[in-house]
Amino acid sequence: MSSAAALAAGESPVAPAGGSASRRRRRGAIWEPSALLFVGPSVLLAVAFLILPMLGSFYYSTRKVSPLSGTSTPRGLDNYTTMLSDPTFLRALLNTALFTVITVPLSMGLGLALAVLMNSVLPWRKVWRTVVYLPLVISGVSVGLIGTFLYNEVIGVVNKLLLALGANGGIPWQSNGFWAFTSVVLVTIWIRVGFSMIIYLAALQAVPGDLYEAASLEGANGWQQFRHITFPLVGPATFFLIIMNVIYSFQVFDTIFVLTNGGPGNSTEVLGTWAYKVAFGPTRDQGYGAAIGVVIFVLTLIFTIVQWRANRNRDVVA
Amino acid sequence: MAVTTSQARAIGRPTERSTTARGPMSRRSRSRVAVVVRVVVSVVVSVIMAFPLWVMVVTAVSGQSVFSSQLDLWPGSFTLSNFARVFQAWPVTAWFSNSVTVTALTTIISVVVSVMAGYGFAKLRFPLKTPLFLLLLSTMMIPTQAILVPQFRLVNAMGLVGTFWAVIIPGAAATFGIFLARQFMLAIPNELIEAAKIDGAGPVRIFWSIVLPLSKPLLAVLTLLSLMYQWNDFLWPLIVLRDPSLYTLPIGLQFLQGQYQTDYGALMAMTLITVGPLVVLFLVFQRWFVQGFATSGIR
Amino acid sequence: MSLNRRQVLAGGLGLGAAVGLGACSGLTSKAGSTAPSSGASGGSGPVELTFVNWSGDAEKAAFDAVIAKFQQANPGITIKTDTVPYASVQTNLDTRFQAGNPPDLFRVSYIDMGQYTSQDVLLDLSDSLDANAFEPGLFQAVVANGKPYGAPHQIDTTAILYRKDAFEAAGITDVPTTLEEAWTWEQFSEAADKLAKVTKKGQSAFIYDWQSAGAYRWLSWLFEAGGALLTPDLKSAAIDSDAGRKALDFTKGFFDKGWVAKNTSVKSTTYPDSAFISGTVAMAFAGSFLVPAVDVGVKKKFEYGAMPQPRDVAASTDLGGNAVVAPKDGKNTEAAAKFLQFLVSEESMRTYCQATNELPTLKSLTSAQLDFDIRPDLMAPFVLQAKTLTPEQVSQVTVPQFADLNLALQNELEKAFLGGRSSADTATALAAAVQKALQ
Repeated sequence: MSSAAALAAGESPVAPAGGSASRRRRRGAIWEPSALLFVGPSVLLAVAFLILPMLGSFYYSTRKVSPLSGTSTPRGLDNYTTMLSDPTFLRALLNTALFTVITVPLSMGLGLALAVLMNSVLPWRKVWRTVVYLPLVISGVSVGLIGTFLYNEVIGVVNKLLLALGANGGIPWQSNGFWAFTSVVLVTIWIRVGFSMIIYLAALQAVPGDLYEAASLEGANGWQQFRHITFPLVGPATFFLIIMNVIYSFQVFDTIFVLTNGGPGNSTEVLGTWAYKVAFGPTRDQGYGAAIGVVIFVLTLIFTIVQWRANRNRDVVA
Repeated sequence: MAVTTSQARAIGRPTERSTTARGPMSRRSRSRVAVVVRVVVSVVVSVIMAFPLWVMVVTAVSGQSVFSSQLDLWPGSFTLSNFARVFQAWPVTAWFSNSVTVTALTTIISVVVSVMAGYGFAKLRFPLKTPLFLLLLSTMMIPTQAILVPQFRLVNAMGLVGTFWAVIIPGAAATFGIFLARQFMLAIPNELIEAAKIDGAGPVRIFWSIVLPLSKPLLAVLTLLSLMYQWNDFLWPLIVLRDPSLYTLPIGLQFLQGQYQTDYGALMAMTLITVGPLVVLFLVFQRWFVQGFATSGIR
Repeated sequence: MSLNRRQVLAGGLGLGAAVGLGACSGLTSKAGSTAPSSGASGGSGPVELTFVNWSGDAEKAAFDAVIAKFQQANPGITIKTDTVPYASVQTNLDTRFQAGNPPDLFRVSYIDMGQYTSQDVLLDLSDSLDANAFEPGLFQAVVANGKPYGAPHQIDTTAILYRKDAFEAAGITDVPTTLEEAWTWEQFSEAADKLAKVTKKGQSAFIYDWQSAGAYRWLSWLFEAGGALLTPDLKSAAIDSDAGRKALDFTKGFFDKGWVAKNTSVKSTTYPDSAFISGTVAMAFAGSFLVPAVDVGVKKKFEYGAMPQPRDVAASTDLGGNAVVAPKDGKNTEAAAKFLQFLVSEESMRTYCQATNELPTLKSLTSAQLDFDIRPDLMAPFVLQAKTLTPEQVSQVTVPQFADLNLALQNELEKAFLGGRSSADTATALAAAVQKALQ
């Protein structure tokens, strides 16, 4: 069973298949004490360093935190109502949605196309493959820094390249909101496309070759083979990638923090950078920052659950 | 499987355009053209993908000013002066060894914890298994920025702030690894385990002598993923490693961005120092990475 | 597939070595200010003080020199400096405070003083500092409720660095040297126009130093136009005025007329020193503390000079500069106060300022001729400029809420400069944002 399908099916491999017999058996099943040894450390770590802090954030999101002493006073839901009248938050929310809607399909589509390419008869396949996913290992800070060098509108490499190619002047990558956003998207695609490609490649390699042979004998052309064999068969991988990529894009931080720091104006501000700036920037409003963090978490969770249910239904229908 | 119906439909359906018969000759020349096209596409894609890295390397080893108005895509004069400048002014060697230490320890702990948990969730029976697993899964959706403040207070209360443990212990709570490990373990046949049980082996022995030997591709992919994540982690170490002598490379890099601003020779040299080890590691072990993903059932 | 034995072994060795390497620090002992507190304040045993600061290369060397002298004179006290990125110094300090473990000493910009004094976390230095020794306007920057809470270590002001070759090409000959001779806004406009005509592609006439936390430096234009940010009681906004709109109009014009590059606006990360070094601007409004780095960067690529900022109704500049402070709950407050006293003694301040091209705060030094180590010939305009700061202006930029005001300036100016919003609308929006921040 593939992971994505498991993620989709959720409890299926764990829970009994249904029926009173199995339910009875489960109740009576001996539970293995060694499970405590195997599962205990992971649960302990996750509860202590992820779940408790998340609950802590829910708590702080209703409070006003003094930045130096760390003491806090209740603030009710004020932090949440503030959001509605905070233009930067609304802009960041819009930008985050836009960024996710653009980068996720783009990096997955390109990733799938590249995976199909790398899975075909192709000399020096390993070389191309390596080059495509190499950017994946580079840290967000490094990527952002390389990005500032490429997209500096005065001394940057990209504008120099455009000029050398005969363009009539550089692109305002840093002073124009649209172009700044574009540079962030381009850099993100650059680092993320390799991830989609690897996962799709793994999925494609599991597709039995004789399916294509059969289709080929039937006279299906390349596109038809892709449309009717490849695409459906990588469905679980697509599901997995949507979830992973949406989490990434929705919570993007490092790259934007270093590349544009949200500017010019607020045109590349996203929820991740804004939550950080609010909590750790000059205003140091950790309560409000926590509230924005809670919003990021809740939105991600809702999206995942919706995806998961939709995918489970699809499985059921099939 | 979701796909079986549409897949059957695809294969079963005769396509209209398939009527033209193709001779063997035309098919062969056609496929030769196709290969050439694919190579050309691959080259173009690779050039685009490698371009930023190339620019980084060239700038790091070039003595010339990046401010010259012409485009310099080739190192005009090879020099290590950018590196020398960075190494002389800042404790880059210490940052490097800090990064190695933190990454290595976190990786060891998180891989051990993930593999054990994966086995537990895949093969052992215990109460609340499903809710616990879903709880762990849901933590994948927690953004780092959302929990910085409470996490900091916790680590502070434990007296770890200002030590590497403040990075290592929370860093070991990596739920994606648990998820991956469980997927992999599910594919291990139950018969193997049952047979060992009949031979009188306990769960620990089974794990050690049957499951682990089968899990090498999983270990490889978990190790690489953890190395990648920890080596590059930025925000959390920045908060808890306040002392510059304890900085890891990404924090050092951001530090130098503030110090050198647009002195890209120095900055790209430092970026290369940060990125280089991971790239090399990845190039050496990339086979494990790709195959690891393929066999851990992410597809 | 299987891992080959040699690879596993090599990996294991690598990890072993790594662990061995790292074991020396960070894992075994807690770094930072957790050294055993020796007898609290007044103790005579050896004391280690932690000093958190950010520094450029020249500043770092100068701090090290002062510290070495202090340690020589006070054998029982050692000072450990933690030089952190400017961008994260506040986070660094916040987390130390929240951990109940603040450093014994740290550096604070004057404009951030209010954040600490309003929380009452700083050591009262009334007994260690002689208020009369300092320039009254500047001393005001560390005073809250009538008490000094920091050692006013240095100031830096903005003046103009200009390229002589560009001025020659543009035919600009009347370069002012004193405040009285300083260009009017009209003269400055003419010069900028001329320079814009001779600059090449990718170059611009000038750059102003209002990026990021420097947004407040825009206030120099406001003060020059005779305006004020806050009313004299510091309780409400005074920016929605004729002077405010005039300053906005003028500065917005920099972008509209193409005098400055669009990627040098208030939220940008292109700073004057790097732009000047890289040869993309003919003039750079820059703090004197940047002179050492600029001189290293420019080498001998071109000749450059310095002149005062233009003046309108008045001449003005910004209150750049930093104090060094100690938390009142520190373990070694007595030793910390001793160091602060030493840091702002005449001799220490003189050597520090001379080495860093920063300006002193002691009366005895502001009236004296300092012998700056690097390009002393450039320093006159900066020194003159410092005298234009009035105590009223200083108090406006050191209110406790100034961090929020600075942020409001950054947000609203960006909308005017790059977003094309009119000066009248911007003035109104600024007033509203300032008002909101003050509450």
